[in-house]
This record gives sequence, structure tokens and C-alpha cells, in this order.
Amino acid sequence: MFNKRKKIIEFALSSLLRKKYKNLAIIIVFSVIISIISSILFLTNSLKKEAFQLFVDSPAIVVQKLSGGRHELIDIAYIDEIKKIAGVGEVQPRFWGYYFDSLTDSNYTLLAIDSKKDKRLDLIKGTLPEKDGQCAIGAGVARVRLSVINDDMLLPLSEDNELNVKITGVFSTDSNILTNDLIVLTKGDIIRFFDMPEGKATDLTVEVFNDGEVATVAKKIKRMFPATRPIQKSELVRTYDTLFNWRGGMMIVMFVGALAAFAIFAWDKATGLSAEERREIGILKAIGWETSDVLELKFWEGFVVSILSFLSGIILAYVHVYFFGATLFEPALKGWSVLFPQFTLLPFIDTYHVFIVFFLTVAPYVASTIIPSWKAAIAGPDSVMRS
Amino acid sequence: MEDIIKTEDVVCIFNRGLPDEMVALRGVSVEIKRGEICVLRGASGCGKTTLLSLIGCMARPTSGKIMVRGRDVAKLTERFLTEIRRSTFGFIFQQFNLIRELTVFENVALPLYPLDSTFLQIKHMAEEVLGKLHIIHKKNAPIRQLSGGEQQRVAIARALINNPEIILADEPTAHLDSKLSNDLIDIMVNLNKEGKTIIIATHDPEVFEHAFINRTIFMKDGLVREVRTQ
Ligand SMILES: Nc1ncnc2c1ncn2[C@@H]1O[C@H](COP(=O)(O)OP(=O)(O)O)[C@@H](O)[C@H]1O
Ligand SMILES: [Mg+2]
Repeated sequence: MFNKRKKIIEFALSSLLRKKYKNLAIIIVFSVIISIISSILFLTNSLKKEAFQLFVDSPAIVVQKLSGGRHELIDIAYIDEIKKIAGVGEVQPRFWGYYFDSLTDSNYTLLAIDSKKDKRLDLIKGTLPEKDGQCAIGAGVARVRLSVINDDMLLPLSEDNELNVKITGVFSTDSNILTNDLIVLTKGDIIRFFDMPEGKATDLTVEVFNDGEVATVAKKIKRMFPATRPIQKSELVRTYDTLFNWRGGMMIVMFVGALAAFAIFAWDKATGLSAEERREIGILKAIGWETSDVLELKFWEGFVVSILSFLSGIILAYVHVYFFGATLFEPALKGWSVLFPQFTLLPFIDTYHVFIVFFLTVAPYVASTIIPSWKAAIAGPDSVMRS
Repeated sequence: MEDIIKTEDVVCIFNRGLPDEMVALRGVSVEIKRGEICVLRGASGCGKTTLLSLIGCMARPTSGKIMVRGRDVAKLTERFLTEIRRSTFGFIFQQFNLIRELTVFENVALPLYPLDSTFLQIKHMAEEVLGKLHIIHKKNAPIRQLSGGEQQRVAIARALINNPEIILADEPTAHLDSKLSNDLIDIMVNLNKEGKTIIIATHDPEVFEHAFINRTIFMKDGLVREVRTQ
């Protein structure tokens, strides 16, 4: 059995080599199609993972203050009022803001963390700032500023004033989306940097004991302070969901997949089995090959072509998404890149998706090589005695 | 001598029930003995190729019996037919039916690929038959570089690689000049001397007028008209 299989595989390979230009062309086209499909899958998948990470730690409700549609500082005094609402746990002020660094032409998020139970603490290399004049920075910031631990960080405030802090920690890249553009400072430095008045914070986070009560609590806060906007976690999720356009992505995947399958089948129909291939199958049958032997031969031919295309397509997609930041899809990701200017994706491959791509591509191709040959092979071998 | 091949009232109808229905054989009963050289003779279209392909288990008759070494093959499954074809018959086709892009060696070895022999065994067997037919020096040449006579030898080598008991040849001289035709006949006679039964379908006088023939079956319009033995 083993000898037989080996010889049939060898013959399949030599048959492919005989038509090497045709097969090479198929492999190239096929790889590109597969890499487009898998790029989309990898990309949407990575974004979903990132988003999930983002929301696991986020508070049930974030309360912002709006004035004429603009985000304003909120009174810390609101905290005591909000705490009185039934079902509400901790209420914390947050001190943060965006900062545009003209030196590197990039946006940073400046944030004070003093809650030691913050999950993000696990991700640091070095330490968080312990006193004024210290900071911890995200991997993206470290990269664009070419900074390492113990370097000084100068953040210009105005023409004649600047904040000079020492870097005590750099976040690891594992938590990219959370910390990439982050500079963590002490509360005092943040207040000084953004020139926040006494008794004000950027926004408030509200913990709610029971998930089912979040909406009610948000409504109560809104009634209590009409100038605020309580943002629920679920709303955030929905916003990000539309941003990733997950469903849209799936549509594209299916569309491209269907198109590719269609193209392959149409192409195969158009070329069909050439008279030459038909004759070859007839000869094999006539000299003692069984139909199953012919099908095995054709299976290996189709399998080799499609598995090569599959592997190179997957590798291409991986390189495209994770090393070149999915540049080809940049226009579609505009919304994302505004939020996260130096955003690089975490390599993450879901075997489930790889299997989907495998069955969407390898299986139909193998079938499309076997089926016409099977039709030719079941005809009696006596056909070669004529013609 | 026993009958190595025996047909009884074989009928073969193509495209049965369709407007282009064609009755190729109308009840053919013949006997061919082991070790004979037998010629199927008759005008084009009389059913020679059809009878040859039925005897060689390439197709099944519409009705009637076909006994190969005493066993009725008419109703066997495809798998068994292939097995019998592989172990018993060597075919030499009218148009050599070689794969033009493959080498001489590959063409000759191809019948053994689906069997469980090793590559080395195949190599030995192929080289042996190629040597016997004096074509071993072209072993690695692709078929398309060979002359007609050389291609014929490769086709014969391929027919012999399974060491078959019966050789079936359909119009083997149709594409050969008279020198090559004579070479071919010599090869057939030699194979016959080794003990192989040979059945040749032909309407070429160069073949059927030769003295070596043991049995001539005259066919006309799908029927056997006359059988001569000598
Ligand atoms: N596959 C086929 N379909 C329809 N008719 C066929 C087929 N094969 C042979 N025939 C017809 O059967 C008759 C006998 O053909 P064949 O056995 O090839 O004759 P020969 O070999 O003596 O020239 C011819 O009329 C031929 O046209
Ligand atoms: Mg004929």
C-alpha cells in the first residue's frame, strides 16, 4: 500500500512539473485570493480581541460632563451624590487627557492611575510613578520617542513652561491597545499639566453591583445631573462594534470567498479537461489503473497545488496584517487609526479561522480537480481503443 | 490444447435505445487456444476492435458469455475486470497511446505504479523489457522525440511489463511502413515462441498473409463468417 501511494504521489508531482507554468500561475492567483480572505479574518479577529481586552477592565458607567456638546471637566463633588444611588459601588474620579506631541507628530493619552488594583498594573516593566516627576509610558510612546527606562521625558506645557518627568516604567507590548499611546503620571502632575482647577476631574467611573441595573443607574445619574453624559459599557461595546464593522468584515470575507470559489470553478469549467488530459486518463485506465487510482492521482495533484497556495496565502496574510499593519485595508480602518494613531496589531491567529479558510479554499479546489477527472475515469477504458 | 478464450453468442450494442443505436456484434462465438497466434480479419467497421476490447476486459458485452481461462468475465465488477486485465493481458493499441510528455521509461513503468512493487523492482522490470525490445538506449528520452518504429517498440514494452499471458494487438501495423511491419511481426512470433497467446485484429495483408498464423477468424458486419486453422 505504502509503495503504491508513494509512486502515485511521485507521479502526481511529476505531472504538475510537466505543466509547471500553468500550475505556478494557479498557485500565485490562488495564494493572493487566500491571503485576502485570511487578512480580513485575521484583522477583524485581532481587532475583536483587542476590543475585548479593552472592555473587560472598563467600568460599568463613565460619567462625563458636556457643555455645548464639548467634553468638560466634571465636579468631584458629584461623587457623593452618585454614591447615594441604590446599587452603586465605588465611584472614582479619573484624571486624564489627550496631548498632541508636535515633536513626534503623534497623540498621547496622559493618565493618572492611583488605584493599585488596576489590572493594567500587571503589564508593566519597571514601576509606576510613585511620586511627582515620574512616569510610565506605553510601548508606542517609547518607540516614537526612542526612550527607555530612566530617560527623562520633556512635555512642553506652553512656550516657557514644561513638565520634566523621569521614566520609571515601560508597558509591555502585550497590552498594546490599552497602553500603546499611554503616559501614566501622578495625579498631581496631571492636574498641573492640564491646569485643572481644584475639585474637578476629567470624568468619573461608576461601579454598579448588578449588571442588570446599569441602565437604571445611568438614567438616575442623568436625571440628577442633566449636564452629564453617563456612558454605559454596553454602549461603548456597540460603538466599537460598528467601528470594527465586524459584520461588514464577515460580509466581505464571504463575498471574496464566494467570488474566489466562483472564479476557480468558472475557470475550471472554461478549461475543463483538455482532450490531452482526457486521453491520459483513458490510457491509465487501459493499462490497468483503477478509477480509484486515477482519482488518487488527481487528488494529490489538486492537494499539492491548493496546500501550497494555502500556506503561502496564510503567510502572506500574516505578514501583511502583523508586519505591515494591514496597509492594504487602511482606507477601511480610518476610524480605528484616528483613535489609535500608532496602533499595531497583536499577532493572534485563531485555528478556527485557519480551518475556515482551509475548507473554503482547499476543499473546493481539490473537488474541482477530481470531479471532471472522475467523470472521465468512469467511462470504460475501451474509449482509448478508438479516436 | 485448452481454450484460453471462448466467447458464446456475444452481442454488443452501442447507445442502446438511442437514435444512434449501433449493433457492433450480433452474436459472436469463437474459441482461441493457448499458445496460438490468432488473427481477426475483416473490413473496417466489422467489429474487430469491439471484440478485442471485450476479450481484453476493457468493456462488457450487452449479452453473451466471455470466458477467459475458463472464467466468465462478462458480469464481473470493474475492480475484477481491471485485475484480470492487469494480470492477463498486454495491449498494443492502434495509435500507440503513449503519453507524449513522459519519458520512455515512465511510459513503460506506468502500469506498475498502482501495484505494491518498489521503485527498484519496477526499474528492473522496465529495463528488462526495454532491453528485450532494443530500445533501452532511449530510456530517458521523451516520447515525442522518438520515431514511429521506436514508439511502437515502447508500446510493446509497456504491454509486456506485466508479463501477460495474452497479447492483444489492434491494427498494430496501421502506422508502420513495410520494414517496420515485418519487424513487428518478428517480435510477435518471438513472443509466441515464449509461450504467449497472441490475438491480432487487422485488415493488413502484410500481417494476415504470413505463414505463422494458427487461426484466422473472418468477420463481417458483426458476425463471424469463417474460421480457418492451420
Ligand atoms: N463507442 C461506440 N459508440 C458507437 N458506435 C461504435 C462505438 N464503437 C464502435 N462503434 C461502431 O461499431 C462498429 C464496429 O466498430 P469496430 O469494432 O471499431 O470495427 P473495426 O475495428 O472492425 O473497424 C462500427 O460501425 C463503429 O462505428
Ligand atoms: Mg478497429
